[in-house]
Amino acid sequence: MGKVLDVQCPHCSAPVHFSAKIGKMHCEYCGYEFDASEIKQETTEEVVDTQEVVEDESDVNYVRYNCPDCGAEIITEENTAATFCLYCGNTSIIRSRLEGKFAPSLIIPFKTEKEKAIEAFKNIRKGRPFVPASFNSEANIEKITGLYIPFWLYDITVDGKMDGTATKVKHWTTGNTHYTKTDYYNVERAGKMYFKRVPVDGSKKFDNDIMNTIEPFDYKELVKYNHAYLSGFLAEKYDVDSEEAFEDAKARVLVSGKETIDKSLSYATVNRKNEVIEVTDKQNEYVLLPVWMVSVKYNNEFYIFAMNGQTGEFVGNIPLDKKKVFLYTALVFLGVLIIFLIGSLLMYYV
Amino acid sequence: MKYLKLSLMIVITSILSFMPVYALEERNESNNFGVNKKEIKITSSNKENVMATPYVDASEKIYDYADILTDQEEEYLYKKVQEFISTTNMDMVILTDSKSYNYDSQNETYATDFYDYNDFGLNLENYSGVLLYRNAYELDPYYNVYMFGNAQLYYDFDRSEEMLDAIYDDMRSQSYLSAFEDFVDIYTNFYEDGIPSSMRDYDIDEMGFMYKKYSYPWGWALLFSGIISLIYASIFIGRNKMVKKSREAQDYLAKEDIDIYKTVDQYLRSTTSSYTVSPSSSSSGGGGGFSSGGSSGMGHSSGGGRHG
Repeated sequence: MGKVLDVQCPHCSAPVHFSAKIGKMHCEYCGYEFDASEIKQETTEEVVDTQEVVEDESDVNYVRYNCPDCGAEIITEENTAATFCLYCGNTSIIRSRLEGKFAPSLIIPFKTEKEKAIEAFKNIRKGRPFVPASFNSEANIEKITGLYIPFWLYDITVDGKMDGTATKVKHWTTGNTHYTKTDYYNVERAGKMYFKRVPVDGSKKFDNDIMNTIEPFDYKELVKYNHAYLSGFLAEKYDVDSEEAFEDAKARVLVSGKETIDKSLSYATVNRKNEVIEVTDKQNEYVLLPVWMVSVKYNNEFYIFAMNGQTGEFVGNIPLDKKKVFLYTALVFLGVLIIFLIGSLLMYYV
Repeated sequence: MKYLKLSLMIVITSILSFMPVYALEERNESNNFGVNKKEIKITSSNKENVMATPYVDASEKIYDYADILTDQEEEYLYKKVQEFISTTNMDMVILTDSKSYNYDSQNETYATDFYDYNDFGLNLENYSGVLLYRNAYELDPYYNVYMFGNAQLYYDFDRSEEMLDAIYDDMRSQSYLSAFEDFVDIYTNFYEDGIPSSMRDYDIDEMGFMYKKYSYPWGWALLFSGIISLIYASIFIGRNKMVKKSREAQDYLAKEDIDIYKTVDQYLRSTTSSYTVSPSSSSSGGGGGFSSGGSSGMGHSSGGGRHG
């Protein structure tokens, strides 16, 4: 058994979506706008029987539901927490995937609209002459989808201490004699660093490097999680648990912890005898963060692009049009060769 | 009396016939002081040199003022020189004298003025020709070779030196015919070898000066163009790679969240080292064989010159 929620207008009972533009729920039928926090009491809930679980050749489990609005069949991946009905277009939120241990504590609602994501994707060609002509075609632009991605946020305390010898070096010249004075010091440092809300994406489906590159998110806009924010967007639940995801955050804070200790040492050289950088405390939160995603197939390979749904930062590796690379580089080569020839002639005769 | 006059004329004529006769008429304004090369202008600064230069018939080629060659030797050399001229299309002059001098440059001035202010190379391209000068001056004799016009390209410093070395022993032992004969042969052979690689980038201007010909620097151009196009490609290929691996977490560490509670900087000792820098000295070098101007304003080159 599973429960599928939809979000309805409290005035006309029509399906409503969260509008990133106004930051509120908006009913397209009666025009009513209201805050997402009001939705809790106004959401209708229907219980729908879960159909059979289907497993395909790639070992991905798909689950069938029925749309609470039109009754049509909805097939989702097992980690999908919010999706659309292909027939009526309404958002269906699968409550079981957002409850209990999967209940996000906080969410950053979408702030950038789809139009901005489309514009950013169209502008990807600017200053990039090697982008294939068909890359950001209308067909690909259509695929841009708003998605809430599960993230773990870690508050981490790092303790660091070191000791060793360090030098300060001074150079000066008097007459023809050059002097070098080296001062030697015994140095020790110890400190605590409190990293706040280091994010690690909790979904195996999304590339960690892409998710890292669209950081940082502005956490001031984190709000208490409400199902209503998901309406109009897709959402995933985590499939990388807190302990597993922490290893990524730990590696990053240890690097930055060492860098911070190093910055406090203003010396020419430092010879460390002992150094310990370790995590002494951690807290985590489970949150949903907004990302516009598009997957583009080029030469039988998929290229994933992501845009921070809050700040508009757009990232992804763009495929190279090898013909353009060769042609433009050859043109630059010839151009420089000709300029060199003209310059050489001018220098000779002028 | 009539027989006496006749006898005197015969004697005088006989004496004159044994003396070399090279001089033409006097240099004066009406014949442009004997200078027929249109690029050479007679000015107050070179007029004295022009007037001091023997005015000779340029067709004779052998001018033995030091009288170190016999008539037969002169005749033999004249024929060899003519062969050289017809082979190379460049003039050739052998000049000997017994002039006092204090500096080697005085010999050069005399020899190059002799070539420039007479009609040597007159109808040849760039007045091309070579002149071997032997100054048999007392205990400090000197000899050198001078190149004019295109001859500067065929006979670079190395070739001139090789020739001067080759005839040194004969010059020193006063075997002048052998020396001059070798000079003509060696220079004919050098001509047949073509312009040496050291001079292939050079040409001669209308004043007889060497200048470097324009040649497109292909090596540098290809290297430079290759580097620039690679930089261009790498920059714009790099722009297509927007995903960067994040290995640190500085964005999540505020300054107020750093507490360095132990800081020890204990001074241990100091060491001082020093070294003395030598004042820089400029190097100087020398060498001959490059194009230089004589009093005529025309260019020429020369060998290194020899005493002996």
